[in-house]
Amino acid sequence: MPGKTAATAEIQPEAAVVPAAVPDRSYIWDKIHSLTGIVPIGAFLLEHFWSNSYALVSVDRYNQQSFDLQTIPWRVPVEALLIWIPLLYHGFYGIFIWSKGKANLSRYSYGANWMYVMQRWTGLIAFVFIGWHVYVERFITQGRSNYFDVVTTLSNPLYLTFYVIGILAVSFHFGNGLWQFSNKWGLAVGARAQRKAAWVAGAIGVLFAVVGLLIVCSFVFHWQPFQFYAQ
Amino acid sequence: MAEAKTILVRIKRQAGPRETPRWEEFSVRWRPNMNVIACLIDIAENPVTSDGQKTTPVSYEANCLEEVCGACAMVINGRSRQACSALVDHLEQPIRLEPMTKFPLVRDLVVDRSRMFNDAKRMRCWVPIDGTYAIGPGPRIAPERQEVAYALSRCIFCGNCLEVCPKVNEHSDFVGAAIVNQVRLFNMHPTGAMHAHERLRAVRGPGGIQECDNAQNCVKACPKGIPLTESNNDVNRQALLDSIFGWIFH
Repeated sequence: MPGKTAATAEIQPEAAVVPAAVPDRSYIWDKIHSLTGIVPIGAFLLEHFWSNSYALVSVDRYNQQSFDLQTIPWRVPVEALLIWIPLLYHGFYGIFIWSKGKANLSRYSYGANWMYVMQRWTGLIAFVFIGWHVYVERFITQGRSNYFDVVTTLSNPLYLTFYVIGILAVSFHFGNGLWQFSNKWGLAVGARAQRKAAWVAGAIGVLFAVVGLLIVCSFVFHWQPFQFYAQ
Repeated sequence: MAEAKTILVRIKRQAGPRETPRWEEFSVRWRPNMNVIACLIDIAENPVTSDGQKTTPVSYEANCLEEVCGACAMVINGRSRQACSALVDHLEQPIRLEPMTKFPLVRDLVVDRSRMFNDAKRMRCWVPIDGTYAIGPGPRIAPERQEVAYALSRCIFCGNCLEVCPKVNEHSDFVGAAIVNQVRLFNMHPTGAMHAHERLRAVRGPGGIQECDNAQNCVKACPKGIPLTESNNDVNRQALLDSIFGWIFH
């Protein structure tokens, strides 16, 4: 019998024969949760930052890239399978996992424990941000968002702040998520391997944050450092 | 003669599982190199609170007094650790003693940690050698492997890793780092490895390895310095490979 643990739990008599535990679905669901964070969500995040980086080249290139993506065959099923369903699953299952934990940062304020708490809060911020972001840039624009829609959104200082917070939260969540993945899938086992994985994952997180903020700057200041590519 | 130095010890007391907890303060005469257990022994000898009230002796568990039995784990000044290695001179006063919160409370500082042993059984953390005839000596283990296994085998089932784990609580049945470490230890053993598949199946069961979310407090709290996060990740790898390929070989 897996005993629920707490100081208030009843003391159970010790069982003489304990049957071996057998795998249950939670293992698979947890593994799917951890995988969807990398593929397809992380992969889509990479694609998303890549495509939005066209704003750093020119308005035309950005609109061209947007149009190309908006006119892919099987658009809605592809969006649903590769983005919406994994994202909803990852978000809601993440909240379920959160509900099974009880943070104790005030007592044990170690680095990884900070990451544990931050991963949950950034995940929630990211989930809310992405929900709003998809609503504004995908549904309000009827799936035909272009450069000037984004400029209009970002001209509101409140929305701009939300974008900056959203990008930072997503980047942190993805970077730390990569490290989590390397632990949960046993890719980095030893203490040194874990440290190295943390550096790599941290660097990727920082890279995403920097690129994301540069893209925002590009929209806000109409800044196109790579414009000479298009000339 | 100078006035004897005293130390203040505040203890969270509870007469039984269903009683309401209360705090009592004791003043104990300081002696050199005292640990928390020494304070508790003094209090047991003379159970009078610092304001002169007679009370019952404080119940606690302790045995080896050298951090090898695991019995005396408790929450000292807000952190879970062994009372025997908690030296009074290194602690902020008044010293606050509380029972561990992740196990059913028996009385005062005594908690019932038998769930750990039960979980070790559920996860098949032993080497089965009993049979109807002698099966002879087991295979020899290379020194490099012995070195790794020895570190893992130092676990004393004190429960500190469970106490500090955010994923061990009443909403989750995570078995905790100690048990996952046992799975790794017995899978490393050449005879134990014959039952690795059974263990790796069990560790994917309710409260298994999937519940670990790498807050990694366990490895900081472990009084034996066991590389618990390494064990977690290693068992994660083994369990994953077993879940993908296990059915082919079994």
